[in-house]
Amino acid sequence: MARYIIRRLFTMVITMLVVSIIIFAVVEIAPGNVARNILGAYATPEQEKSMENQLGLDRPVAIRYISWLFGSDWQAERKIGRPLKEIVIQQGTVERFRQWWAVDEDGSLVRWGIQDGQLYKYTRQPDGSTVGVPDEGAWKTDENGVQYFWGVDNANRAVLWVKGQGSVEYRYEYSGWRKFENAPVDYIPLTKGLLRGDAGISLRYRAPVSELIASRLKNSGILAALAFLVSMPMGLLLGLLAGLNEGKPADRIISLFGLVTAASPDFATGIFLIMIFSLWLKILPGATVFASSTAILDNPKMLILPVLTASLVEMGYILRITRASVVEVVQSNYVRTAILKGLTRTQVVLRHVLRNSLLAPITVIMLHVNWLIGGLVVVESVFGYPGLGNFILNAALYKDVYAIEAASMFLILLAVGTQLIADIIYSFLNPRVRYA
Amino acid sequence: MAVDSTMIRITPAQLRWRRFKESVGLIFASPTAVLGLVIVLIWVFIAAFAPYLTHYTPYEQDYKNINKGPSAQHILGTDHLGRDVWARVAFGARTILLLAPISVGVAFLLGMVLGLPAGYFGGWVDELVMRILDSIMAFPTILLYMIIISAVGASPVNVVIAIAIGGAPGIARLIRALTLDIRTREYVAAARLRGDRPVQIMFREILPNCRGPLIVDLLLRIGYAAFYIGTLGFLGLGLPPPTPDWGGMVQEGHKFMTTNVWPVLSATVAIVTLVVGLNLFADGLREETMRYQ
Amino acid sequence: MKEDPILSVQNLAIAYKTRKGYIQAVRDVSFEIMPGENLGLVGESGCGKSTVAYSLVGFLGRNGRITNGRIIFKGQDMQSLDEKTLRKLRGAHIAMVYQEPMSSLNPTMRIGRQLAEALAAHTDLPAEEIRQRCIKALQDVYMPEPESILARYPHQLSGGQQQRVCIAMAMLNQPELLIMDEPTTALDVTVEAAVLDLVAELQEKFRTATLYISHNLGVIARVADKVGVMYAGELVELASTEQIYTHPLHPYTVGLMRCLPDVDAPRGTRELHPIPGRVPSPAEVPAGCIFAPRCEYAVPECSAGRPSFQEIAPGHFARCWRAREWLENPLWTKKPAKSSTYVCAKPESEEPILKVEDVRTYYPVPFTTVRSLIGLEKRRYVRAVDGVSLSVDCGYTLGIVGESGCGKSSLARTIVGLETPTGGKMEFLGIDISNEPVERRRREVIRHLQMVFQNPDGTLNPSYTVGDQIAMSLKRFRVVPANEVYGRVVQLLEAVKLNETYYHRLPRQLSGGEKQRVGIARAIASNPKMVICDEPVSALDVSVQAAVLMLLQEIQQQFQTAMILISHDLSSVRFFSDYVAVMYLGKIVEYGQVEEIFSPPSHPYTAALLAAVPRPDPTLKQEFVRLSGEIPSPVNPPAGCRFHTRCPYKLGEICEREEPPARRMSMDHVIYCHLPADTLQAIHPVIRRSA
Repeated sequence: MARYIIRRLFTMVITMLVVSIIIFAVVEIAPGNVARNILGAYATPEQEKSMENQLGLDRPVAIRYISWLFGSDWQAERKIGRPLKEIVIQQGTVERFRQWWAVDEDGSLVRWGIQDGQLYKYTRQPDGSTVGVPDEGAWKTDENGVQYFWGVDNANRAVLWVKGQGSVEYRYEYSGWRKFENAPVDYIPLTKGLLRGDAGISLRYRAPVSELIASRLKNSGILAALAFLVSMPMGLLLGLLAGLNEGKPADRIISLFGLVTAASPDFATGIFLIMIFSLWLKILPGATVFASSTAILDNPKMLILPVLTASLVEMGYILRITRASVVEVVQSNYVRTAILKGLTRTQVVLRHVLRNSLLAPITVIMLHVNWLIGGLVVVESVFGYPGLGNFILNAALYKDVYAIEAASMFLILLAVGTQLIADIIYSFLNPRVRYA
Repeated sequence: MAVDSTMIRITPAQLRWRRFKESVGLIFASPTAVLGLVIVLIWVFIAAFAPYLTHYTPYEQDYKNINKGPSAQHILGTDHLGRDVWARVAFGARTILLLAPISVGVAFLLGMVLGLPAGYFGGWVDELVMRILDSIMAFPTILLYMIIISAVGASPVNVVIAIAIGGAPGIARLIRALTLDIRTREYVAAARLRGDRPVQIMFREILPNCRGPLIVDLLLRIGYAAFYIGTLGFLGLGLPPPTPDWGGMVQEGHKFMTTNVWPVLSATVAIVTLVVGLNLFADGLREETMRYQ
Repeated sequence: MKEDPILSVQNLAIAYKTRKGYIQAVRDVSFEIMPGENLGLVGESGCGKSTVAYSLVGFLGRNGRITNGRIIFKGQDMQSLDEKTLRKLRGAHIAMVYQEPMSSLNPTMRIGRQLAEALAAHTDLPAEEIRQRCIKALQDVYMPEPESILARYPHQLSGGQQQRVCIAMAMLNQPELLIMDEPTTALDVTVEAAVLDLVAELQEKFRTATLYISHNLGVIARVADKVGVMYAGELVELASTEQIYTHPLHPYTVGLMRCLPDVDAPRGTRELHPIPGRVPSPAEVPAGCIFAPRCEYAVPECSAGRPSFQEIAPGHFARCWRAREWLENPLWTKKPAKSSTYVCAKPESEEPILKVEDVRTYYPVPFTTVRSLIGLEKRRYVRAVDGVSLSVDCGYTLGIVGESGCGKSSLARTIVGLETPTGGKMEFLGIDISNEPVERRRREVIRHLQMVFQNPDGTLNPSYTVGDQIAMSLKRFRVVPANEVYGRVVQLLEAVKLNETYYHRLPRQLSGGEKQRVGIARAIASNPKMVICDEPVSALDVSVQAAVLMLLQEIQQQFQTAMILISHDLSSVRFFSDYVAVMYLGKIVEYGQVEEIFSPPSHPYTAALLAAVPRPDPTLKQEFVRLSGEIPSPVNPPAGCRFHTRCPYKLGEICEREEPPARRMSMDHVIYCHLPADTLQAIHPVIRRSA
C-alpha cells in the first residue's frame, strides 16, 4: 500500500509539472498583458515597459518558469557575487514580511540604493533598522568603460544599476504611483521558487501568493465543509430511501428532485434561492459582504444561501449515485440470500444493503471533488463570497500567472489527495480489494 | 429446423424502418424520456422560429424602457439596456442549442480517436492515453475552461474548443471501457479470422455496438455542455457581450436584480428547463435501455 | 397410515408482469414432496423450474405473482401467510442453495457472520454456541480448517468451497425442506461430482426433503427419488426416478434422453435424435398440447385441446393425450448398443494438416494486487498452455477435453492466431505459423483455418444481419464472384439447415441454436481445410445441442474438413472425435484414438473425469475415482506431474519432482504418468449395472 501511495504521488508530481508548464505556456501565448491589467487602460507605453521590466516579464518565458519553480536567487547570486538570504520579519502576531538581503563578507545583511546619483550600502542592524554608507567603490567597469553594479534593492529584487544611465521607474506605493529617476536598468525579482516553498508574489496584489491563497482557502474551506456536511448525509439518506423504494411514488419524487438539483447549473440554483429568500421573503441576505476576511463566522446568516446552493447541487449528485447503487445491490443475489435466510427487512438493509451500496458513492464523491471546486467558483461568484474560487476566477481574468499556478497546483494536490483517500477507504470497505 | 412460415422476406429498408420504430418505441415507453423530449423540443422550436416569435431583435435598445417588467410590448420586460428579454431568451436558445451539440460532437471525435485504440490495443498505447486523460481529469473542469477561455479569448469557437477538451476525457474513457468489453466478444475474433485490419475492426465491429450506452452518454453530455456554456457565460467567459447568451444575461442582470428580476429570472428558467429536459430525456432513455437488456 | 407430505403444490400458476402485460411463466404445476423424499425437477432453460422454486419461499420479485393454485407447506397455505410468518419459515424450515455461489454470498461480509446470522435469525442461542454450530456445519460439508474459513471472505474461497458454504448455511437450521437450484451447474465436472456426493450423504444423514432443480438428466438421476419433467412452464411428467428413466410416458422426456450423447457408448454406436423446433416463449404458447409442434408423435387432436396432468400408472403422471398408448407400446427402451461401424483408419503417408510442437502460451497476470499494479512484483504468468504437442490429419477430428482452466481454449486461440504463442512451433499446411498472430498470416492460411465459437450470444455482431456477416467472409476471401455472393450465402444457410428468410434477420431475432448455426455457416464460408470448434454446444440447451453436434458431423463428412473439437463434455467428444487429447493444467496427460481414451489403460485423471460424468441412468452404480482438492492455479502449477496434488494413485516424491514420462501404450496411445504400464491398465472407472 505504501508503495502504491508513492507511485500515485509520483504520477501526481508529473501531472503537476506538466500542468504548470501548460499554464505558463497558455498564459504566455494569450493576448493581453499583465502590465496593462495592473496599470489600467490609461498607462503610457513607457510605464508599461517599466512595469514589465520590474516584474521580470521581459525575460524569456523559460527563464521565468525556471525561476518560478526553482527560484531566482541563485541566478542573482552569480551576478551579485554574494550569497543572498531571505529573512522573515514578524511584526506583532499576524503581519509578516519577507525581505531579501545580500550577505556581506563579515556576515552582516546588506542592501543597496541610489541616493543623489551615489551608490549607498545599507546594513541591517539587529533592531531591524538600517545604516547607510556610500559605497561608490563597489562599481564595476566593463570592457566599454561603463560602470555598473548588481545588488539587492529595498523591494526584494536583484537589480542592475548603471552609473549615470538610470532609467525611469514607476512604482505603486500607498500614496499612489510614484516616478523614480536613476532607477535600475534590469531587474530580477527574487524568489526561492515553488519547490523551495515560495509560491511567488501575486502580480495583482503585490503580496505573497501563498498568503493570499491561505486566507481565501479558509473561507472556501468553511463553505465547502458546511456544504459537505449538509449534502453528504442528506444525499446518502435520500438516495437510500429512493433506492429501497424503487419504482414507488417516494422514489419518483426523490429521483426527480435529485435530477433537477443535480442538473441545474449552480448559478441558476443560487439565483433562484436569492430570489426566493432574499428578494421575495426578505429573510436572508442575497450577497456576502464581509468587513474583513476573518469575519465570516461572525455573520452566519450570510453563509446560509451560499452553503445551501453548494449543497443542493452536490446533494442531487450524491443522491443519484447512491440510489443507483442501492437499486443494484437490492437486486443482487446475496441480498436474495439474506432475505431467504429469514432476516428482517431492517437487518437485510443494515447488514447487507448499506455497506455494499455505499461503496460506489463514497469513491465517486471523492473523485468528484473537482466538480465541487467548480461549483465553488460559481457559488462564490454569485454571492461575491471572498473565497478561493473567486480568487482563481479573478486571477484567470487578470492573467495573474503566479496566482493561477499556485492555485492550480493546490487543486491538483487536493484532487489527487482525495482520490488517494477514496482508494484507501474503498479498500477498507471492500475486502476483495484489500486482500486481492 | 422448424421455419416460421409467417416470416416473409424483409428488405433492408424495412429492417431499418423496424429498428427505427423500435428505438422510438423505447423513448415512448418511458414517461420520463417523453417529458424530457417535449421540453427539449419546445426549446428547439423556439430556437428555430425565433425571428417569427419575437417582435424585436435581441440587439435593439429601447431607451425609453429600461429595466422594465413585463408589458404588452415586451412580454418578459426589458434589460438594463432596454433590450427585449424575450427576444434575447429566444435567440439565446439558438446559441446554446447550436454550441452544445457541436461541442459534444467535437468531444466525441476526440474521445473516439483516443478511446478506441486505447481499448483495442491495450498495452503502452492504453497506458499513454490513460495517463494523458488522468492529467486532464485531475484538473477541475471549470478551471480548465477558465484558463483556456482566458487564454484564447471568448468566442463561440473557443467555447466549443474548451468544452470539447473538457468533455473528451470522459467520452474517451467510456469508449475505452466499452471497447475493452467488446473486443473480447467472439465476433471480433471472427472478424480477425477473416483478416480484418484493426481499423476496420474498431470502426465496423466495435463502434457500432457501442452506440446504445454512447448515445445516452452523449445526450447527457449535451446537457452538461449546456450547463457549462451557461456557467461560462455567467462567469463572464462566455460569448462576447452583445450576443444573446443565457449565462451572460444572468451575469449582466445580476447587478440589477433588486430593481428588475425579469432578465435574470427568464434566462435562469430557460437554462434550467433546457438542461433538466436534456437530462430527463437521457435518463429516461438509459433506464429504458437497461430494462431492455 | 399415510404420511402427510411436507410440501404440496396444487395447480400452481405464476405470471410475470412485463411491458406487454402479464406473461404466464408457469401453468398448472402440481406435485408433492414427502418427508425425506428427493424430488428432482428437470427441464431446459426458461421452462419455469426456478420460478417454481422461488414461489415456494414467496420470493417472486415485484413483477411476479401467483395467479392460481396453492402451495401448502406442512399444512399451511403459504399464500395466506403474512410477511412475518413467512420470514420465520424462510431459512428455518425452508432453506435454499443457489446456482451461483459466488454472487449469492455477500462479498463484504466474513463467512462466519453470514453463517451466524442465519442461525441467529431463528434461535436465541448464545454467540459461542452459534459459533460452534457453524464450525460443525462446515465440518459436515468437509471444509478443511473450518475455524479459519469463518474469518474469510467469499472471494477467498474457490467455487466448490463457496457452494459447500452455501450448503452448510442452508443446513444450519436443519430445515424440513431444502431447495437446491442448479447447485452444481457452475462447477467443473470433478468438483460437481464431489458436491453431489456431499448432497447424497447429507440426504442420508438428515433425511431432509429436497427439491433438486437441474437441467442435467444425469445429475437428477443421481440425486432424486422422484422426477418431474418441466417443459415451457408446465409439468409434463412426474414419476419415480426409475420409471422416468426406464418407461417414460411423455414424448418430451423421451426426446431429451434420445438427444443426449452417451459417454459409455463407443463411437459410432449411438445416433442422436434432436428434438426439432424450439421451446416456445411464454408469450407464444400454442393452443393445444404445448409440445405438439415439436412432437413426432403428434396427431391432429394434440393441437386441439390441452391435455390434463393425469395419473397414467400408479404414481406416474403425464400430460399427454396418448400417454396410455405408451404404456403398452413403450416410447423408449434402452436398446442394446448396435455394433460399431466406426473404424479409425490412419491415413497412410499423408502429412498431417496441422502440427503443433511444444507450444506454450503464457498470459501476464492481470493487475489485481496493488503491488503488481505498480510494477514492484515480478511479472507473473498464467501458464495456460505449457508445452503441448499434437497433430491433426486431413479430414479427421481431434477432441480436446479438460476442465475449465486447463488451457484447451487458449490452445485453440493460439492455433488460429488469436493469441501469439510464447514458445514452440506450429505448422499448418506445411507453412510455419509459429509466431504470427492472425493479422500477419497469409490470406491462404487464414482462409483455411477457421473457428466456431462457444457463446452463441457473442458469436454474431448484433449490428449486422445474418447474411451480411456470412457474405463478408465470402467477399474477403473471394470465394465466389461478387454477383454470386447472395446465392452462396443462401446455400450456406441451407447447409446449416436454415433458409433464405434468415438472410436479413438480425442476431437478436435468432435463438441460441440458430445463432450457433450461423456461426458454423460463417466458419465454413471460406471452404476451410480445418475448423476449430471451441465448446460449440456447451451454452445450448440439450435438445439443441444434439442438432448442432449432428450438423457439425455432417459438415465434416460432406466437406472432409479436419476439425478440433474442444469440450468439457466427454460424451460429445466420444460421439464425435477420431482422436482425443486430455488436458490438465496446460499439459496433455493422455492422447490416443477415441476408443483407447475411453477404455483402460487410462491416466488417473482421465479415469476420474470419466467417473465424474453423471449418467442419466439410475440403474448404473458407479464406483468412483474421486479427486480431492481443487484445481491448482495455472500461475503456479505444481512441480513434477501437475496432477500429483489431486492424484489418488500418487506414487510419492517422484511425482512431485519429475515430469512424468510418456508411456506409449499402443501406436497412437500415450499416457504421461509415472505409474508403470500394468498399474495404468488397472485404472478405470468401474461402472456396474445393479442387478
